[in-house]
Amino acid sequence: MCGILAVLGCADTSLAKRSRIIELSRRLRHRGPDWSGLHCFQDCYLAHQRLAIVDPTSGDQPLYNEDKSIVVTVNGEIYNHEELRAKLKSHQFRTGSDCEVIAHLYEEYGEDFVDMLDGMFSFVLLDTRDKSFIAARDAIGITPLYMGWGLDGSVWFASEMKALSDDCERFVSFLPGHIYSSKNGGLRRWYNPPWFSECTPSAPYDALALREAFEKACADSLLFILYYQFPLAVVKRLMTDVPFGVLLSGGLDSSLVAAVALRHLAKAKVARQWGSHLHSFCIGLKGSPDLKAAREVADYLGTFHHEFHFTVQEGIDALAEVIYHIETYDVTTIRASTPMFLMSRKIKSLGVKMVLSGEGSDEIFGGYLYFHKAPNKEEFHSETCRKIKALHLYDCLRANKATSAWGVEARVPFLDKQFIDIAMDIDPEWKMIRRDLGRIEKWVLRNAFDDDQNPYLPKHILYRQKEQFSDGVGYGWIDGLKDHANEHVSDAMLMNANFVYPENTPTTKEAYYYRSIFERLFPKLFYVVSELLSAHSRSFSDGFDFGNFLPTYFPPKNAARSTVPGGPSVACSTAKAVEWDAAWSKNPDPSGRAALGVHDAAYQEAPEKTLATENSSSVDGHLQKLQDAMVEATATATAL
Amino acid sequence: MNECSKGVILFVFGDRLKHRGPDWSGLHQYGDCYLAHQRLAIVDPASGDQPLYNEDKTIVVTVNGEIYNHEELRKRFPNHKFRTGSDCEVIAHLYEEHGEGFVDMLDGIFSFVLLDTRDNSFIAARDAIGVTPLYIGWGLDGSVWISSEMKGLNDDCEHFEVFPPGHLYSSKGGSYKRWYNPPWYSEEAIPSVPYDPLVLREAFEKAVIKRLMTDVPFGVLLSGGLDSSLVAAVTSRHLAGTKAAEQWGTQLHSFCVGLEGSPDLKAAKEVADYLGTVHHEFHFTVQDGIDAIEDVIYHIETYDVTTIRASTPMFLMSRKIKALGVKMVISGEGSDELFGGYLYFHKAPNKEEFHEETCRKVKALHQYDCLRANKATSAWGLESRVPFLDKAFIDVAMSIDPEWKMIKPDLGRIEKWVLRKAFDDEENPYLPKVFVHRFFSFTAARTESSDGFRPSCLCSTSFIGRRSSSVMVESYALLIAMIEPSVEHSSVRCGNSVTVLQNSARLTVPGGPSVACSTAKAIEWDAQWSKNVDPSGRAALGVHVSAYDPAAVPSSLTTGTSPAMLVNKKQRVMEAKAPELTISS
Repeated sequence: MCGILAVLGCADTSLAKRSRIIELSRRLRHRGPDWSGLHCFQDCYLAHQRLAIVDPTSGDQPLYNEDKSIVVTVNGEIYNHEELRAKLKSHQFRTGSDCEVIAHLYEEYGEDFVDMLDGMFSFVLLDTRDKSFIAARDAIGITPLYMGWGLDGSVWFASEMKALSDDCERFVSFLPGHIYSSKNGGLRRWYNPPWFSECTPSAPYDALALREAFEKACADSLLFILYYQFPLAVVKRLMTDVPFGVLLSGGLDSSLVAAVALRHLAKAKVARQWGSHLHSFCIGLKGSPDLKAAREVADYLGTFHHEFHFTVQEGIDALAEVIYHIETYDVTTIRASTPMFLMSRKIKSLGVKMVLSGEGSDEIFGGYLYFHKAPNKEEFHSETCRKIKALHLYDCLRANKATSAWGVEARVPFLDKQFIDIAMDIDPEWKMIRRDLGRIEKWVLRNAFDDDQNPYLPKHILYRQKEQFSDGVGYGWIDGLKDHANEHVSDAMLMNANFVYPENTPTTKEAYYYRSIFERLFPKLFYVVSELLSAHSRSFSDGFDFGNFLPTYFPPKNAARSTVPGGPSVACSTAKAVEWDAAWSKNPDPSGRAALGVHDAAYQEAPEKTLATENSSSVDGHLQKLQDAMVEATATATAL
Repeated sequence: MNECSKGVILFVFGDRLKHRGPDWSGLHQYGDCYLAHQRLAIVDPASGDQPLYNEDKTIVVTVNGEIYNHEELRKRFPNHKFRTGSDCEVIAHLYEEHGEGFVDMLDGIFSFVLLDTRDNSFIAARDAIGVTPLYIGWGLDGSVWISSEMKGLNDDCEHFEVFPPGHLYSSKGGSYKRWYNPPWYSEEAIPSVPYDPLVLREAFEKAVIKRLMTDVPFGVLLSGGLDSSLVAAVTSRHLAGTKAAEQWGTQLHSFCVGLEGSPDLKAAKEVADYLGTVHHEFHFTVQDGIDAIEDVIYHIETYDVTTIRASTPMFLMSRKIKALGVKMVISGEGSDELFGGYLYFHKAPNKEEFHEETCRKVKALHQYDCLRANKATSAWGLESRVPFLDKAFIDVAMSIDPEWKMIKPDLGRIEKWVLRKAFDDEENPYLPKVFVHRFFSFTAARTESSDGFRPSCLCSTSFIGRRSSSVMVESYALLIAMIEPSVEHSSVRCGNSVTVLQNSARLTVPGGPSVACSTAKAIEWDAQWSKNVDPSGRAALGVHVSAYDPAAVPSSLTTGTSPAMLVNKKQRVMEAKAPELTISS
């Protein structure tokens, strides 16, 4: 990943402004520790912090077209850049960078080229000929992007909020799949796949097509590593022998990514240069389920496996830093981000700059446990659509920023554009959880890789149910976080939460604790800006169209706070899906534990589950007791 | 302070040193004492996370540095159990065995804080020369703060200062004690050991070999000058057979930075070609350098003009080196101080003055070149090692009768002749003779720090502060930048005693008159010097050999306003700087 910052049209063009922009860009340096670049054209600045995955010696940004009239600063990877280059025969390319193609595409096609790009990206492009600019973000929001406005009429874009939060009067999270053009002054959606309308598709399930699409997606993610011709053999040797790896939690998704990547590596000749080993990484509290599961998969696949342990105290010590980097106060995201953040540092210290990761599968296939309760296929499908649209606020945010905090790039093959098209085109009847037919969650995916002759994974791993969220890193983790929060947040504080934090009011001590850290780190209160998050939760129920979403429609609020989503949720569901089960609306804990009744293990433990949910009616005073009871129930349930 | 804000504050302060140790962090709390550590893993990356402990964990130590003789020290304690492979763990055990008196037994570079939980006392110490940085501060609440960089100290420290090198601070006495007592420290006693080239050579080779202790990829910084070339030559000779070579190959990697076409790049390339190193050349533009200055000052924590000029290219280069996956570099700092390599030493009136000046220079290193070499590289999680500042090597070099170090053109002895001579091996040459000659006839040799980075075509603009009309303005601007620290997370900075911070911070930076890197005392050597305001080597021009020879000066551009101090021929760099010089003289 890289970090971009663009400021367009600032009134002040003094040297002080330049050095201010350099300083702000520096706040993104963790994203791109290898080099920085700044292009200044009149009152426009494009800054870039680069992470050089390969070829650190050239390819520094910003990038230009032939006559340097078009300048572009990009965070991302364009997987089909060679194919696109071939279409631009008349153009001369200056660097080997995959992102340079953006400048030339714009020259050739104007603003309408964005859908031609296959990959993940956020970019700002400045056309110095008429001093116009465009900014765009990839389809799903794998790369982060924020947009802001200065009092002096300037428009700001940045990969992370921290680069613009102090200098903008208002700012919002830039919507994924959108393009902003200075000429017509508005956001427009360029990403229009059939599933976006949330109409129920009817294509029959084709296991092989799904498998092939995923293999292609994994291959794309490894493209540069495997096919890049190193001009300096020495550079490679210097970069240690582990240039990339796979995050392996031992769950279905990461295990599939590892299995497919490994097969692909074996095929590629270049892989032999790197050694035949694929490196895999896992983190957990000592003795955690993830560590065990990942070890089992790693042993089966024969990867070079690295296991990292952390203690609850280390995790708690890192919380403020995690919140600073991830820029959220969403409880589930913070719980899951912290181990990933710690692991990324260890990965980076091994010399690894890029990892493949399994995010997105749960959203596409309805893998969360609460999908058991989906009343019908239409609801099931709409919920998956909503989940994918919100990914950029949750798992994409986490995967990208937790790794980028240490200059590691995460690539997410499940969120490949073509793969999503195929997966979201399947008649959702197939995705429904049907215990009577032996279909557990994500059955379509499991079945697609169930190859008896040449198995990707052993059956028991392929059909293993997920450890819901942070539980996998160790059962003590969430309990530790709650205990810690309880020590620091009193009942009285929680009672007054709606006065202290009127928007997106925290309902648990843990949430209150994270929120207080967030507010401390991003203290500037804004009197303007969108309620992006409530807009999101509202939009889900109202059939809100993202294309028409304009930040200007929203009343003044704290901008930083508003970039974080909120609203009721059970086990990561959207607000809408909470309606699926009456008991859910009473539950304040957003983790997977709440959806307990649907986990296989819990089916055998029904009485305790009932107990837990019954207790949940008294949310306010008995909050802690309730949570304790639930935790106990979980522990027992999962132990069985 | 409530717990939540403490969490944030610890994050802020810990975070401010994260660049130094990107690989892991550790925090140990005992009662009201906190020891925090950011680790750069060079030896034993898999284990060895800090803080480190003795057997029963009653002694906790957080260390920044490398102990080269740790294996030998370990052997002395067969009854002690070591928990990690870390070279620094030995400190906890030494303390247990010897109390506070053990510091001089350590061979290496280090800054550490050791907490003895048995009586809740602590000691802190810094290596002999101050190769590793260390600051100490006192809070109003009676707390004592010790940190590798100034920015790590609480903004609430009522007072803080540079921790003196070669000293030990003990909480029991509440005072410093100097543990480093070499013969040369007194300055007055002029050494009389006759010069033996082979002894000097051997001492240097040993110093380099010690520094090859590493488990990660490394390289050498090669500017093409004498010192870095010697470091590269000796390193490449001894690389084979080391543990590092087994893992990373026997080819030495060398790195050089410069504006395109700069003399350093050219000189370094020649040396690299001769030695057969895998050479990496990095180019930067003046704009790149100017854009980085604020960041450089934040990291180096100085407003000293020469240091900033020289730190900027090193800072930029370190980022590129780190991007290649290299974690450690060997560098040539210290030689000029030990051997009187600066041009102004030509004017040393006698050997006593010569020697005293070298002593003063070595003692001040921690505020200049050590500061630069350590912090410019640490900014990117790169470690630099400086063999010239090896304790044993310094002992040898500083015991030589200074008569031998004196510059005597009549005897063919140019500056640093004792060092050149020591490596002048006809049978198995370290460097070709032609290079050695070139070292005193070519700008790369003695352009005093920053000028080596500039190409001749760009001499019309000063490397930095080109918009300022005088050095005064230049350093003032830098001072301002210093006082308004551009802390990365300015939005989360806690504390408000900014005035206190300003004063203490300002006082950690050395000042006083200087010509071509001399101490204030040496200015007396030449009456003309006191009129000069530019601290770079440009000022000592009259003594550069190429200045004696008009043919060696490529440009014939002259300005009629050259100050009187230009005793000899015009020199291109000098001319460009003339406007600056006239203003304040």
